[in-house]
Amino acid sequence: MTEALLELRGLTVDFATDDGVVHAVDGLDLALGRGRTLGLVGESGCGKSVTSLAIMGLLPPENSMVGGQVMFEGRDLLSLDAHLIRDLRGARLAMIFQEPMTSLNPAYTIGDQIIEAIQRHQGLDNAAARARAIEVLKLVRISVPEKRVDDYPHKLSGGMRQRAMIAMALACGPQLLIADEPTTALDVTIQAQILDLMRALRRDTGTAIILITHDLGVVAEMADDVAVMYAGQIVERAAVRDLFARPEHPYTVGLLGSIPRLDERRERLPSIEGRVPDMTRPPAGCRFAARCPFVEPECRAAPPQLIEVAPGHLSRCRRAPLSQVAA
Amino acid sequence: MSGPLLEVQGLAKHFPVRQGAFGRLSGHVRAVDGVDFHLNAGETLAIVGESGCGKSTVGRLVLRLLEPTGGSVRFEGQDLLALPDSQMRAQRRRMQIIFQDPYASLNPRMTVGAMLSEPLMLHRLAPSDAARRTRVGELLELVGLRPEHARRYPHEFSGGQRQRLAIARALAVEPQLIVADEPVSALDVSIQAQVINLMRSLQARFGLAYVFISHDLAVVKHIADRIAVMYLGKIVETAATDELFRNPRHPYTRALLSAVPLPDPTVVRERALLEGDIPSAMNPPPGCRFHTRCRFARESCRVDAPLLADDGTGHSTACPWWPELPPAPSLVEDRADDQDRIRLARLQAAFVTSQMEAT
Ligand SMILES: Nc1ncnc2c1ncn2[C@@H]1O[C@H](COP(=O)(O)OP(=O)(O)O)[C@@H](O)[C@H]1O
Ligand SMILES: Nc1ncnc2c1ncn2[C@@H]1O[C@H](COP(=O)(O)OP(=O)(O)O)[C@@H](O)[C@H]1O
Ligand code: SF4
Ligand SMILES: [Mg+2]
Ligand SMILES: [Mg+2]
Repeated sequence: MTEALLELRGLTVDFATDDGVVHAVDGLDLALGRGRTLGLVGESGCGKSVTSLAIMGLLPPENSMVGGQVMFEGRDLLSLDAHLIRDLRGARLAMIFQEPMTSLNPAYTIGDQIIEAIQRHQGLDNAAARARAIEVLKLVRISVPEKRVDDYPHKLSGGMRQRAMIAMALACGPQLLIADEPTTALDVTIQAQILDLMRALRRDTGTAIILITHDLGVVAEMADDVAVMYAGQIVERAAVRDLFARPEHPYTVGLLGSIPRLDERRERLPSIEGRVPDMTRPPAGCRFAARCPFVEPECRAAPPQLIEVAPGHLSRCRRAPLSQVAA
Repeated sequence: MSGPLLEVQGLAKHFPVRQGAFGRLSGHVRAVDGVDFHLNAGETLAIVGESGCGKSTVGRLVLRLLEPTGGSVRFEGQDLLALPDSQMRAQRRRMQIIFQDPYASLNPRMTVGAMLSEPLMLHRLAPSDAARRTRVGELLELVGLRPEHARRYPHEFSGGQRQRLAIARALAVEPQLIVADEPVSALDVSIQAQVINLMRSLQARFGLAYVFISHDLAVVKHIADRIAVMYLGKIVETAATDELFRNPRHPYTRALLSAVPLPDPTVVRERALLEGDIPSAMNPPPGCRFHTRCRFARESCRVDAPLLADDGTGHSTACPWWPELPPAPSLVEDRADDQDRIRLARLQAAFVTSQMEAT
């Protein structure tokens, strides 16, 4: 196998808070190949955003502690000098957020911001950078880009702002794009436009994408591979078709069951009762045990490991493969 | 009782927009602009559409939390808009509302017990302290919480539990109608399913009618008997739920359905993406409001405003051209019950069973 573009090795993130230490991410191992799209899913608070901020080196230094390794193109980002990370960010690594105004500055025009990003990483003069800015705005299908480039963010609709943010992220041709709930705040018809755009960009540029979302429909449409997180850990990882057809972790089974679907109608939606554990004191055994219908006494005794239960299909459940449970 | 529980006709709300230091009137947001629907006792009508199309405004108008610009709202045959305030207060008890963010509507300084007792006292529904305590415990159990929870404060509950509290408070006054404005939109899917299941079982038990407002078509499919699709202040289509998903007629309904990503990586869908954004409700396009984004628009669509016309079966469409449009692609595929599906159904059954035991 060729070297992965990104490899997380035992990534941990702890936060010091008034209520104690929050173990937000706990021993994440994950590899992503060039040009691949990985869907990262799980309930809110399970550590998706924290994982992506750790990769980007954007966690607040005051109260966060990061451990493990973030190998990107063969280098560990966690042991890199701050200024080197800043150079990578925006150039080889880029991130887009649910709320575009977290990365767009209301005081500057869209064009100024894209031009700034381009000039920081590429030695282009003003005219060339402006031309490139207009080019990327066109790429994200903003109409009349020569005019829009001089607009302030507040003049744009939600969907247009999201496009402008994507344009800014893509201006320098990153190898990896992390998209954290990029369409969650948008209406479905606008979401469809943005997803379509991301697909086209991926095809044309070969950028690898980590797509964070709670929407399993978006994952099914966009991802090659999926990692399911629960309480700071990956509980299942598989190719997208395998995950939807043969989930091997009870949490994934429950999650797939609980989504209301356009293409089916069931009398009762199977729901996962209870709630996620308190991450200052995660349970000793399986973190899903309190909500799992297949729990056995052994599950609570020791934490299950993430193991391969079918080719390329990992599950952190000691009862997996679940075919035996379903029999 | 004969006739619908709720009947809405020609309902409109135009919000004045003022500008500048002197608050000069610069126009109106036509948030709701001539809406008709009815709802029978014990039924759920869903109102769906994208943000800004007027759903929440309709919900508030129905309860007369906002004064309409025009139209009528009849509840059990009585015209609510003609009712004097004193009688309106009595009617309020029969109609309740719950919101997307329950926290905003729960008083953070009140215990759950005090919060649930308040409407009981206001409407003299429990004569003594003891009767009130019993009723509060009952209400909490109804929504899947425990009587001991009465001593706690709202912040001690999770998002899903707070929505249960909001539902308990609505139920306290034994309403016939609950307007639920995006009640599960802020919840994680696993919790969403809990609240949807709860609302359905309460409906079956008490014969409640719901106006269920949502932007999520899949959620609506699981709870509604009938659906009204809104676009820019108007209803463009209404039909029984199964009928709407099987035979969507209006070009906007079709576009909306085809934009929803399906949680199935094996399906490849041809989709007709809508171009552009929703026009401003201050300046809605003339003619059919959807014509600026409609693939099927003709010359006359720019001029003639189509009426919401019933075909005689209860399926109404505000597009005169629907019979000539190509058939909409089917959402539900006939999938064989292969090994994988059988296995998954068996595994998921365990979640339904454990939930029955839990409540
Ligand atoms: N800056 C912070 N300080 C303290 N706790 C945090 C901080 N950021 C995130 N957390 C906690 O880390 C956990 C994971 O959060 P996050 O990654 O944002 O979840 P999500 O999967 O919803 O994106 C949560 O318990 C959250 O409260
Ligand atoms: N109090 C108000 N004043 C002015 N405009 C309003 C007010 N409330 C809602 N609107 C406008 O009315 C339209 C419909 O809003 P709303 O009913 O909240 O839509 P939805 O619930 O479908 O998102 C929007 O354009 C909104 O901006
Ligand atoms: S290890 Fe046990 S408790 Fe955890 S998911 Fe598997 S069966 Fe459920
Ligand atoms: Mg997040
Ligand atoms: Mg609303």
